[in-house]
Amino acid sequence: MAPSKTPDSPPPSSSTDDSENSLQPFFVLHKALPQKGGGRVNRSGKSKRKINLSASPESAFKSGGGEQFEEDADYHFEQLRIEAFDVVWPKIETTIKEVLRNINGSVFNKIHDWICDSFHAIRSARKPSVWQISCPYPLATDISSRQIHTGLVFTKNVEFVDDLVTFKDLSMHLRSKGCHVVSLSSLDFSGKHGLGGCLRSLLRQLLLVSPDSADVSILASWYREPENCDSPLVMIIDEMERCGGLILSDFILMLSEWVVKLPVILILGIATTDDSLRNVLQLNVLQHLRPCTFSLGSPAGKLDAIIEAVFLKNWSGFYIGHEVVAFFRNYFSMQDGTVTSFIRALKIACTKHFLMEPLSFLCEGFVHEDFQGFWTEKCSSLRKPILKYASDLPSCETRHKSSGVTCESLAFGLSEMKKQHKDWVSVLLCLYEVAKLTKVPLLGIFCEALDPKLYNLRASPNYFAEKIRNLEASAVKKSEIVQLVRRVRNSAGAPLRQLLLAWGKHTEDIAEIHVKLKELENILEDEENTVSQECDEATFKRLKSRSHLNARRVNDKAAELMECMIKNYLRPMECTPLHEIVCFKQVKMLKLALIGDPRRTIQIDLLKSHNYLHYNCGPEGGNAPLRSMHDTAILYTLAQEHGDLINLHDWFQSFKSIILVPSPSKKRKSGHRTPDHRATQDAKQETTSAVRYCRAKNEYNICRLILTPYKRGGRCRSRKAKQP
Amino acid sequence: MSKEESLQVTKRATRSSTSTPVKTASRTQKTIKPHASLLRNDLVFEGEPLSLDALISNFHGRRLQILKLLNFIGPLNTSMLPLFLYGGPAAGKTSVLLQSFRHLQRPFVYASCRTCYNPKILFESVLNQLSSHRQQASNGYSCAKKCDKPSDFVHLLQEAFKEVINTLKGNSKEKKGSKESEGKDCGSMVYLIFDNLELVRDWEKESVIIPMLFKLYDILKLPEVGLIFISNASPDTYYSNTGSLEPLPIYFPDYTEDELYQIFSRNQRNPKFYSSFLDITLKPFCRITRRVDELSIALQSLFQKCCEPLSDSGIPSPGDMKTTLYNRLKLHLAPSLNETFSIPAHLSSEDEAKKDKVRRKANMKNLGHGEALDDIDFHMSVSTKYLLISAFLASRNRATLDAALFDSTGGGDNRKRKRKISEASKEQKETAEEELRMKGPGTFPLERLLAIFQCITSVMEDSLDEGVQESNSDSGAEGGNTQLMSDVLLQLSTLCNANLISKGGTCPLEASTRYRSTVSEELAMKVARSVKFHLKQYLYQK
Repeated sequence: MAPSKTPDSPPPSSSTDDSENSLQPFFVLHKALPQKGGGRVNRSGKSKRKINLSASPESAFKSGGGEQFEEDADYHFEQLRIEAFDVVWPKIETTIKEVLRNINGSVFNKIHDWICDSFHAIRSARKPSVWQISCPYPLATDISSRQIHTGLVFTKNVEFVDDLVTFKDLSMHLRSKGCHVVSLSSLDFSGKHGLGGCLRSLLRQLLLVSPDSADVSILASWYREPENCDSPLVMIIDEMERCGGLILSDFILMLSEWVVKLPVILILGIATTDDSLRNVLQLNVLQHLRPCTFSLGSPAGKLDAIIEAVFLKNWSGFYIGHEVVAFFRNYFSMQDGTVTSFIRALKIACTKHFLMEPLSFLCEGFVHEDFQGFWTEKCSSLRKPILKYASDLPSCETRHKSSGVTCESLAFGLSEMKKQHKDWVSVLLCLYEVAKLTKVPLLGIFCEALDPKLYNLRASPNYFAEKIRNLEASAVKKSEIVQLVRRVRNSAGAPLRQLLLAWGKHTEDIAEIHVKLKELENILEDEENTVSQECDEATFKRLKSRSHLNARRVNDKAAELMECMIKNYLRPMECTPLHEIVCFKQVKMLKLALIGDPRRTIQIDLLKSHNYLHYNCGPEGGNAPLRSMHDTAILYTLAQEHGDLINLHDWFQSFKSIILVPSPSKKRKSGHRTPDHRATQDAKQETTSAVRYCRAKNEYNICRLILTPYKRGGRCRSRKAKQP
Repeated sequence: MSKEESLQVTKRATRSSTSTPVKTASRTQKTIKPHASLLRNDLVFEGEPLSLDALISNFHGRRLQILKLLNFIGPLNTSMLPLFLYGGPAAGKTSVLLQSFRHLQRPFVYASCRTCYNPKILFESVLNQLSSHRQQASNGYSCAKKCDKPSDFVHLLQEAFKEVINTLKGNSKEKKGSKESEGKDCGSMVYLIFDNLELVRDWEKESVIIPMLFKLYDILKLPEVGLIFISNASPDTYYSNTGSLEPLPIYFPDYTEDELYQIFSRNQRNPKFYSSFLDITLKPFCRITRRVDELSIALQSLFQKCCEPLSDSGIPSPGDMKTTLYNRLKLHLAPSLNETFSIPAHLSSEDEAKKDKVRRKANMKNLGHGEALDDIDFHMSVSTKYLLISAFLASRNRATLDAALFDSTGGGDNRKRKRKISEASKEQKETAEEELRMKGPGTFPLERLLAIFQCITSVMEDSLDEGVQESNSDSGAEGGNTQLMSDVLLQLSTLCNANLISKGGTCPLEASTRYRSTVSEELAMKVARSVKFHLKQYLYQK
């Protein structure tokens, strides 16, 4: 186990032992890195992880420094929070679903069009008579009419989780358009069931009965029914890579014998590249496919669309702090690049927020039409202790130092927050317009725009000029926003015009900016007009250079405007008072919830079993195994003493010596007994300890904390934790 | 399997479509009550009868085989010995046989061992056809007779054949009596065709079923039954020890180049132009394959390519046609010879795909220079990428080299010493390397993969940490790095699912599973470039 593998516990097994076991060179390549901050966090946070969802609010109250509330009020607010959650989260969820549906919609339509074309092509080549559909011999034997129209849908993500839903939606979509749709999963093509498995599942879905012998001719005789024979037969195989190649090949070859009779259209979901098709299928099978490619949206694009919808356009009252967004971003790029896990993380954050933040029920107001009324009503019902809690929030401490937060100021603060957020969104959307030109993902800009530190830095007058100068010079990690400003400065002509137009739409509510924008637009228009009007040769050159200068000026002005917008309006949520009410900032909690680390947790738990059992006379400081400890814990502690390799016999002996330590009095007593009796008792003890030992060892085997190499026998290798 | 027929398809389609409406009506009526004439129709080839001349001209280069086949089958109501049609794939065996039956208009039962993928389905399919049974919703899609064992099959087959033959005999008598029969007399012979017989050899009970099929003629003892087998493999591979009557073989040889020329140049819209196209292309392709199906796909795509520019300018004069064609095809010919399977993009995404291809080509050129171009088509998390790289390294490098490559302390020294030794036994090493390359990527245990993964990521984390310190703006990045290791096993399973790493199946408790990376070097390089990892430094090359 990596955390415990410290230099002070060298493996006691002799060096000759190691060489005898021919420890392969790869196994001891690198010592585990010393524990970093993250690990410590995990350890200390372990108890937090056990936080009972229902128990947390009270603890939050306490940590807020407030007094105990009466239980009734407590219950009342908890109910309110749950209600608010029930309003806010479903809203977020539906927004996300809609976004994903919109992204996939166009691809789905494209696929459907292609299916119609393919069906038409099959039928126009030859329309079999009703009897011919189920005749046993092939109608056409030439390769071009035996090819199956195959749509290769690239999911653009190695992880397939997101796309299970996508393919389900696709089959619904196609079914609604009147196709016969069969969804086959990779399990149907696993070696276990063979060809019969997938045919059976196919027949079950189409015929709604499972015949005792799965035969294609049954499908044919079903298809020849007049109500069935006018639509294409679409077969969707969602994870092509996971299918058994042989079975999929057989399936395709079999279908190719029927393809004139049954208008089969295959849709294969491919996670990686088209090479995988060549790897999975044999060449003679590939000949039977007439492929056509489609691609779904990239996961990063989906994520951007979700963020845009959830946090910018349809804000529903729940927000996440900069650190949380940074964590999301890293988690997405480093660990698990699926939209599913992002949504799950968001849900965890949302749940935690509503459970832990006493005032979070006020979030609901952001969704209300009459938000002023909602807040005044809710705030007036607040009692003193909770107001005290509000004024103790870190973001309010400076502002309301003397007076404290009152009901009115709370309601006002929230409305202010709403207004401010709107401005923030407008500016961010303007930035996003620029980002679209260079295909910069929104997530990065969003993360940067939320950073309170950067906001404070940006307040300095020469911030942008300096940073832009630095951009060329160093290889330091570049600020996205600064790059975008530079991009505005360098753009000209039509793109700039379009940019200004888009900005105009986004900033309609900020009068000051809107006026400036109009001015800029006018300047740009004037220039274009002059250039188009006076186009005689002589002046053209002069004009061009002048207009070039002018354009330069317009660019600079636009960039200045951008800078001004960023400085004045791009104020992160975390810089506003009372933001704690809407903003979730507990990264550590989220980390614990998302990154399981099960193996390390088991190992740490085993070492500290006495803590969990509330066992007071446990080892003080050291890890010396005691008889009173649990067998599994004893074995583990012993394994730690041995290092990487343990001789099974030694292990058992030391285990026995611990659990069987006979007390001296016992010894004396037993001395009086007959040797026979003692022998039987010893044997009994021996067997019990062996049984206990075996049981404990099996538990390790099952957790895969220990490997038993069978060939060499007699020695176990305690497995290292995979985590640093 | 013959290509000639492709050209016939349209012709025949029109004919049959004219005849379908009448027939469908009559058939639906007939299904209600089984009748002798229905039986005849069910078993006889659907469509207009074909004259012998038409049959022979349809199948260019198959004249001998057709005549031999018809000779063996013999005139109406004569019994025949079992036949065995064999020859390479796409040599026209099935097509010739089916079209011959269309010409003969005699009843037959056809069972392909591909569609009937196990004995049960094969038996039931034959019995269903003989008893004109249709599996439909009204009978719960059940078959005429359940039959699992070969012995049952023989028994049931005998019964079914007797019944069919009796009806056929009665039928022909009726016809002889009335004389004003609406169709030709189909005689009282029934033929049983087994296609794709070579597949039976892969079935579980092949040792029982193949001898049984070959002995059917002896077992049934019905002179009215003709047996015909079709197979890719030669007869020697089947009935060496069965002791049954050996079927008469008819061999379908591969087409010669001339025959292929004839086959492809038929029914072309512009025969002159196409023949000059064939003059250029057929020869090089014939060196690779003579299968009509493979050739027709390759030639079709090539022909489309060379027609593209023509469609605007019109067809050039015949004099310089060949040279212009040759110039045009020069570029496409060599790549399409190597291309096994091409994937065209959907119309709307075509432009994008083209750009992609251009980019990929440029990238191929840049491979040597190691330019940073991230163009993996799909999303992978950073930690998955590292895992993929480590798997690639574990598969390519030998386990004994790991210490030298990854140990940060003693790496340099070790390498020098090793090099000296290698000079001494250079030849030996070269052969070993050669052997290694022939063997392909090696397997590795999970431990080795994880050890390499840890080494690589620790290097990466160091470099990232520096970056973070410099920028000191991104507080979340640090958290991200330390997490790199946490879900390794999960990501490993992801990679296995995506077929980028293959896994040998063993007991999960023993942990002796070995993995193998199946990633091409090109993709591995791309991945390495996208995370700025110098893969070449770690790849051991002689």
